[in-house]
Amino acid sequence: MAANLIESIVKILFIFSVNIGFFSPILGWVERKQSALMQDRVGANRADVCGFTLIGLFHPIADAIKVLTKEDFIPEGADRLFHTIAPFISLTPAIITFAVIPFGGQYELFGHHVNLIIADLDVGILFVFAFASLASFGSVLAGWSSNNNWSFLGGLRASAQMLSYEVVMGLNIIGVIMVYGTLRLSQIGAMQADFFNWGIFLQPVGFVLFFTCAIAENKRAPFDVAEAESELVAGYFTEYSGMKFVMFWMGEFLEIVTIGALVTTMFFGAWHLPFVSDQMLLNYFRFAGPNGAASLAIVVNIITFFSKVIFFIWLQMTIRWTLPRFRYDQVMRLGWKMFLPIALINIFITGVVILAK
Amino acid sequence: MGIPIGKLKPKKVRKNIDLTLWERLYIFEIIRGMTVTTKHFMANLVGFVLHAKGKKRNIITVYYPEEKVELPPAYRGRPVLVMRENGKERCVACGLCEKICPASAISIIAEENENGDRYPASYLLDMSRCVFCGFCEEVCPKEAIVMSSEYEGLAKRDRNDLLCTKEMLLRTENSVKGRIEYIRRIYAKCNY
Repeated sequence: MAANLIESIVKILFIFSVNIGFFSPILGWVERKQSALMQDRVGANRADVCGFTLIGLFHPIADAIKVLTKEDFIPEGADRLFHTIAPFISLTPAIITFAVIPFGGQYELFGHHVNLIIADLDVGILFVFAFASLASFGSVLAGWSSNNNWSFLGGLRASAQMLSYEVVMGLNIIGVIMVYGTLRLSQIGAMQADFFNWGIFLQPVGFVLFFTCAIAENKRAPFDVAEAESELVAGYFTEYSGMKFVMFWMGEFLEIVTIGALVTTMFFGAWHLPFVSDQMLLNYFRFAGPNGAASLAIVVNIITFFSKVIFFIWLQMTIRWTLPRFRYDQVMRLGWKMFLPIALINIFITGVVILAK
Repeated sequence: MGIPIGKLKPKKVRKNIDLTLWERLYIFEIIRGMTVTTKHFMANLVGFVLHAKGKKRNIITVYYPEEKVELPPAYRGRPVLVMRENGKERCVACGLCEKICPASAISIIAEENENGDRYPASYLLDMSRCVFCGFCEEVCPKEAIVMSSEYEGLAKRDRNDLLCTKEMLLRTENSVKGRIEYIRRIYAKCNY
């Protein structure tokens, strides 16, 4: 019992420190620096400590100090309660969804069964979707409660866009569920130990659609009609300042990580290296004894998983800084008229192939 | 007022019908665009972030306070007085620059020394008035006032600090050599 408790606490602390402590501050820096490099610029490099700039890595700290000391402004006529809780609603789901994403296999460590996932739910994917759709409440409430036309339009756009892309995203997932026959994310991960069993080979169309829909769901660049700087000032978070403003950003960045993790789990072999299963890893590290082998395998699992996640973060950033924004009607047309039929056809073909086997 | 309502025609949207099927599939064009940006990213990652010291960067941004642009001699910065070898100014206080200055930025008080040579007892240049036109340099018969390439230190908290005396304006001949050669080349074409 105590071992279980310690295991859970360690895993929660690990995911929290990786997400809140590492990814969310560092992604702001990554976003600036990567866009700079892609556009032949220099990027943020001025914040320094004792003359060391570390290629701009102190900027997240400088930003944090700036943001924490800013005035927390609530506009006149705004709904104070909803204006205050909206950023929390949009940040929380991004953190919670990571609870059901496995970042490693299952091992025996000191006679205790370690499962590298915080909550091994048997409805893992459904849990992710349930909370991902909660995030839309955050942006809708933020837009509605700000008492500002731009915010309101942004909130409306956000709600319409997130609702329509959630439908397509759900339909894409059905293909994956049909192939693996389970909703449990750790099981989906475990079934991808064989390289040719990776989701990208079984559901290539599903991957493209899911990735696109996930970016649209996150309201980032090609689909950022909900904030649309050139049209709606800053969309649904126009009236936010200080830490609340940053919470929206943190939610967005954490969702990037979550999308990366989901794509990795479902389409790119989760924590598996190509052609290397967990049992093979344990055999490689046999020299370290059973416990040492298990811990080394855990480390390799975690490194593999997060390398893949980082690759998908990079890919999302590249997409964000490469493509121009869609017009609002184009976003809707893409979602309903193109992605929805393709997703349905994908399900149909998947079903036919499974039956034919 | 303006165009009458009946004559207003909706603007025709030019739909790009030249797109081929391949382009309209969109995803391949996305991949092509991302290859371009990724190439830039990778090239800059190697050539800039992991940049070897002493090698030429391929990002041309100048890190301003640490690095400075090399200005061409044609650049008209702050006007300065050129020194002789003995540390005195070349200026003979003829007053031509004072006369021609369109902004009346220059005021000279002339005096004679024991040899009977004229020199400016006080040479005041009001940098808050100067318009950097370069007429003073053009008109100067002794190449005594030239436009240097200095562009820093021209912003002050107090306007009185912009009032430059002779001592503040004196520069060695070497420091403005390029500009002197340049004005010889340029103004030699003109026959005054």
